[in-house]
Amino acid sequence: MKIIDFLNTIIADANENEINDFLSVKEASIIAEIHKLWNEYKQNPVSGTAENQGDILVRKGEKEALAGNIDTGREVNNTGSDKDNIEKQLGTDDLKEPVNINEAEDIPLDIKINDASTIIIDMGIIQGGVKQEYNQKTREAAINKAFNKQIQSIHISLPNAKVNQEYNVEFDFEKLGIPEIGEIEFEGLGEIGLEYAAEEKRIKGMPTTAGDHKIKLLIKRKNWENGKRIFECNIILIINPDPRLLWNSIPTLTSISYYKPDSAEQFLEAGLNKVKFGKKCIVAASQRGRSHAHEGKPRDDDFAMFFDEQTGWYIMTVADGAGSAQFSRRGSQIACETVIEVCRVQLTAQDKDFDKHIENFYKEKEPKITEKRKMVGDSLYTIIGAAAFKAYKNIEKEAAGNNNPIKDYSTTLIISICKKFKFGWFVGAFWVGDGGIGIYDHKIQFLKVLGESDGGEYAGQTRFLTMPEVMQPNEIYRRLRFDIVKEDFTSVILMTDGITDPKFDTDANLNKIEKWNDLWADLSSEVNFDARNDETAGQLLKWLDFWSPGNHDDRTIAILY
Amino acid sequence: MRRLPVYLLLDTSGSMMGEPIEAVKNGVQVLISTLRQDPYALETAYLSVITFDSSARQVVPLTELSAFQMPDIQATGTTSLGEGLTLLANKVTAEVTKTTADVKGDWKPLVFIMTDGGPTDNWKKGLIDFQKQKFGMVVACAAGQAADVNVLKQITEVVVQLDTADSTTIKAFFKWVSASVSTGSKKIEDSGKDIAGISELPPPPPEVNIVV
Repeated sequence: MKIIDFLNTIIADANENEINDFLSVKEASIIAEIHKLWNEYKQNPVSGTAENQGDILVRKGEKEALAGNIDTGREVNNTGSDKDNIEKQLGTDDLKEPVNINEAEDIPLDIKINDASTIIIDMGIIQGGVKQEYNQKTREAAINKAFNKQIQSIHISLPNAKVNQEYNVEFDFEKLGIPEIGEIEFEGLGEIGLEYAAEEKRIKGMPTTAGDHKIKLLIKRKNWENGKRIFECNIILIINPDPRLLWNSIPTLTSISYYKPDSAEQFLEAGLNKVKFGKKCIVAASQRGRSHAHEGKPRDDDFAMFFDEQTGWYIMTVADGAGSAQFSRRGSQIACETVIEVCRVQLTAQDKDFDKHIENFYKEKEPKITEKRKMVGDSLYTIIGAAAFKAYKNIEKEAAGNNNPIKDYSTTLIISICKKFKFGWFVGAFWVGDGGIGIYDHKIQFLKVLGESDGGEYAGQTRFLTMPEVMQPNEIYRRLRFDIVKEDFTSVILMTDGITDPKFDTDANLNKIEKWNDLWADLSSEVNFDARNDETAGQLLKWLDFWSPGNHDDRTIAILY
Repeated sequence: MRRLPVYLLLDTSGSMMGEPIEAVKNGVQVLISTLRQDPYALETAYLSVITFDSSARQVVPLTELSAFQMPDIQATGTTSLGEGLTLLANKVTAEVTKTTADVKGDWKPLVFIMTDGGPTDNWKKGLIDFQKQKFGMVVACAAGQAADVNVLKQITEVVVQLDTADSTTIKAFFKWVSASVSTGSKKIEDSGKDIAGISELPPPPPEVNIVV
């Protein structure tokens, strides 16, 4: 190599000031300087690290191209270079231009040089081509470092995944804004059920394991060959647990006071086989909510039903014991039991009279705002109104007998009594607290909600049967409802708020037929209402386990159909 | 579904640089990964992070826990607490669903404010915006002795103080925040009522002192 080529190399490596300095001295002193440096090098050839070469050797053009990206990065750890390639690249002209980052090579790990500029000069004089090789390798190291720095500086975040929920997100490395990336691969995806589909540029699969997973992105620069460096970038992929699996199901201890099973279901054939009783049956189910199951707490809801074969009355009731009241499971139970008891007795006692009032009311012309309506209402008051009041009294007695405040037994209550008449079905109801009750006819899209919810979502004023102010005669009367509907209605449904909250959301929605349509469609998809046997109750209980985020209260439903 | 919005209003001024800001970042991370294990919180709690230094910005909009990604937080500049409060108020207006006849709105938001100094802006203006909003519970945390407790007292009744703004103490605070969100999300599920007082939160750890 001629000295002038060597000088060109230096010029290419130096900045403007350095070049000016260099050119201002006479040639003889340059040669003297070179000799001095060579002697120093011979005495102390190996020290320092590869890292500090980068800054010095990246030439002006590259410095601009890689603006700010060069620092003392990690150790470069690859070996080998293609000699032809180097020679091709190291033509003098070529060296004056910024090196294309993609064509550069890696630097051997074991190169240890005290002062890079010194070495280059010496190599240039004494060892000719070797200098160029080192020059190339050190430049390559700098490029790698810059590349690595670039990779480390980008913030790659993958959308969070969820266990057992299909994951499929785009990962297009071309969008990272680093054109030098040639090829990528992931490490750590397989273990968690995912894969990188390179052709589709997507990460996909079914995540298996919850947690904050460290994924490695392995990056090869363009024109990567065996032996060249592979860059790594750590990415955290968060996989959320399946919320359903976070809920424990701890059985309620049977030793607690007022124990009741965590679920219950019942099917009553009722008047199914008798035309005069309307050929309907009743089914009910009650399931402890996930929030209770999670802590091994008992079910606070309850229900009861009865069919009187003498009179043909169908009686259904559901009750929701207040979550904050420690013995509410017993409150709801007493309420349901009492309702059946009182209704049976009263309906038997008043059977003929009550039937007559209902018939008279039916025969009356619209608008039915007369005495005849009141007669039905008054009877209803002495039947289900009395049942509700007796339920309250029985709970009060239970509380007093155990020296507990009645508040500890707080419960809501919904009652319905139904009977087939020649002219249609009579449905009477009493309702205190939240939840809901309605007569639903799918075919003619008829809905009648029998009362108003005391949901109190504006004022937080939920009402309970156990509140003395609710158990006043006019308050009880105010909560009574009745109607006469066509024979082939779809169902009468009583629900606690464990169902109305997720299925209706607001009180206003309880009056929307679309919501009832959705409910009935949902129910029918899991419950075979045509079968009308014991299995129906099991299916209904299973349906109660439906998933609705944030809604994990006890659920109870009773259906006449 | 009724969401429980949780807003973290964090001081990222220059004085937080170093250990405190790292502890805060770590605290948020731990908060998230803890709450993700809690079925109540995972389903109902939504989290937003607002930072304030020379200006205020919402670095994470109200996001469900399962989708939350850790923001990059740097400590620099002054302490524009007022701007932070105004931004918080605006975001609550925009992000928290109000209850209507057809939709049950979100629960009232929980807010955790953390600062290590006194405000450098017109914070009273921010306070006025802030007070127009309804919150379930606002906890202000004075991190270290330089924080202005008197200012915080005007923002909320519930002010807690950390003796020092070191990593252990800040970590303890965020653990308590995490426990509070857990308790809160369970409470609303069980009782169907908003969170209304510090008595409904778990007792703070020894590092976190309630300022009376």
